[in-house]
Amino acid sequence: MQPSSREMQGMAGSMNGGISHSVAVAQIALRELQNGHGGRQIPNSGPQASFDDGASGHDDFLDQMLSSLPSSWAELGNLKNPWDPPEAGQRIFGAGLAGETSPEEPSAAAAEGMRYPPYDESSLLANRLRQHQISGGSSPNGKAMMVHLDHQSQQQMLLPSLGRSPVASGDSGLLSLPLTLGTGGYDVDAPFKSLNPTGGEGLFNGLGGPLHRAQSAFGHPQHQGGASMPSQNFTAAAATGGVGQAASASASASASASAGGGTGPPRQKVRARRGQATDPHSIAERLRRERIADRMKALQELVPNANKTDKASMLDEIIDYVKFLQLQVKVLSMSRLGGAAAVAPLVADMSSEGQSGAGSGGANSSGDTLTVTEHQVAKLMEEDMGSAMQYLQGKGLCLMPISLASAISTATACPPRPLSSSSLSSAGACHLGHGILPGGPHLPSPSGDAPASPGVSALTAQSAMANGAAEAAKEAVTVSKA
Amino acid sequence: MESKSSTTGNRDNPNRNLHGSKTMMASHFLRALFRIQQTSTSSSSAGRSRRIRRAAYASMAYSAGTRRAWSRALLRKLRSRARLRFPRRLSRAATPQRRDMDQAQVLRKLVPGGPSMDDCKLLEETADYIRFLTTQVRLMQTVMDSISS
Repeated sequence: MQPSSREMQGMAGSMNGGISHSVAVAQIALRELQNGHGGRQIPNSGPQASFDDGASGHDDFLDQMLSSLPSSWAELGNLKNPWDPPEAGQRIFGAGLAGETSPEEPSAAAAEGMRYPPYDESSLLANRLRQHQISGGSSPNGKAMMVHLDHQSQQQMLLPSLGRSPVASGDSGLLSLPLTLGTGGYDVDAPFKSLNPTGGEGLFNGLGGPLHRAQSAFGHPQHQGGASMPSQNFTAAAATGGVGQAASASASASASASAGGGTGPPRQKVRARRGQATDPHSIAERLRRERIADRMKALQELVPNANKTDKASMLDEIIDYVKFLQLQVKVLSMSRLGGAAAVAPLVADMSSEGQSGAGSGGANSSGDTLTVTEHQVAKLMEEDMGSAMQYLQGKGLCLMPISLASAISTATACPPRPLSSSSLSSAGACHLGHGILPGGPHLPSPSGDAPASPGVSALTAQSAMANGAAEAAKEAVTVSKA
Repeated sequence: MESKSSTTGNRDNPNRNLHGSKTMMASHFLRALFRIQQTSTSSSSAGRSRRIRRAAYASMAYSAGTRRAWSRALLRKLRSRARLRFPRRLSRAATPQRRDMDQAQVLRKLVPGGPSMDDCKLLEETADYIRFLTTQVRLMQTVMDSISS
């Protein structure tokens, strides 16, 4: 296919200059992975001293690529020489090729075979880097990298295959990798690699940014067991820590790709790919796809049942979940009508708990909503006693004479509370939710001032039986006093 | 609220819950509920439920602030007193076509402010919207539990 052949040529052109840089970047990538992955502790001094031009740019690309890796990869990144001698690499390469069903593979292999000779001179630089790395006291990472360095051809073999994967057209190259990753962190990306081919002009056509290509690159160099499919390679990588190898490979891939194109410090800047570096449309498209992939990953974390490997079904899940949540809001708002009277205690609890604690006395702050209640009741009482009583009943309160209220409070077995009138409201507030006296219906609408009505006292006698009623009665007393 | 913006990527901040905005949402919602209860003791239940639902979305939008496109659109809708309308018609027509073609459209209809976003921003706003929606639903459930217990 045309894009891939273009890529090959572009890569051939860029590889000559960039391979050394890519190698250096690979080292840096590996060490970074081992050093905790999150930080950007690129040993800029050494490699850049050796490989001056553009190394920093490659480092930036490495930053982008590595930061784009799922954080779970950091745990995988203990590189303890998972690499075998070149034949493994060749096998992997073959496996990687076999994994991709794109027809350009044979030609790719041929093209890469032709490209091996020009890169031998980079081995000198690679060795220099290795020395530097060793002197830098790097972890086994360094050793691993050395091993890796020894097989320049292997790397270069891998690079073309990696280069092929970022085919922007979202073709079968990515599709063919059944990305069933062993580790959880990987699974997030799996859907998006297969997303590419499903939709023609869907929302996320060609979904699969450079991140996924890098990850698919991981699939290539993996399994030392031989011609295993890339899917197995992924799980193997997870198990054996071939991530480092792949990291270097993909780092070199991206680095080499970047050799031809622009740079960008932030993670999501444009990363030029082989053969399409100069095409603004593909760059923009890749950037867009990468962004969409990021968003989809975030959404996958939020939406339950997000293990769909299909972009369309993932979107369906998202849509259904949003609909479900909106429906829940609606249902909850409808069912809340029953508990109408009890919202006050919640609000009161909020404010009273924010104050000096329940029932501890002290004047009500002006922000206390029960003061509002009292004011409201007082207002209502001025206008119409009946409505005031109704309002109180709606809240589960009643009016009673103060004397009776105090008598009840001292007589009942309620937990002792300071009975200062100012504290009554707060005390009552805390108990409104519990055992609200069912005194409303019984209360006759008093013609005159409410507290003197005998019906009230009868009511309060009843309510006294309820445990929390006394507080409510006290509350009423407070209200009536106001 | 300082939930990390997704422009920085979501890989390094898996903990994107809405700490700061939860309390704001809760207080706003409870105050609104209280107001509704006070002012509409005799009104119809349908009106009440609509008002409660509106209060829920209002508290969501207020706690999200104006940093988000969906919250801005929601606030606009609430302030203009328009009826909160959400497309939840269960249209089962053309299901296979719906999968690829209309998914973006459907999502745009669901998320407030959707029609004026491109795909990338739509996904970002959807994620944030879902986050706030789940918080609001959980808040409402908690309120209801504490009421009925």
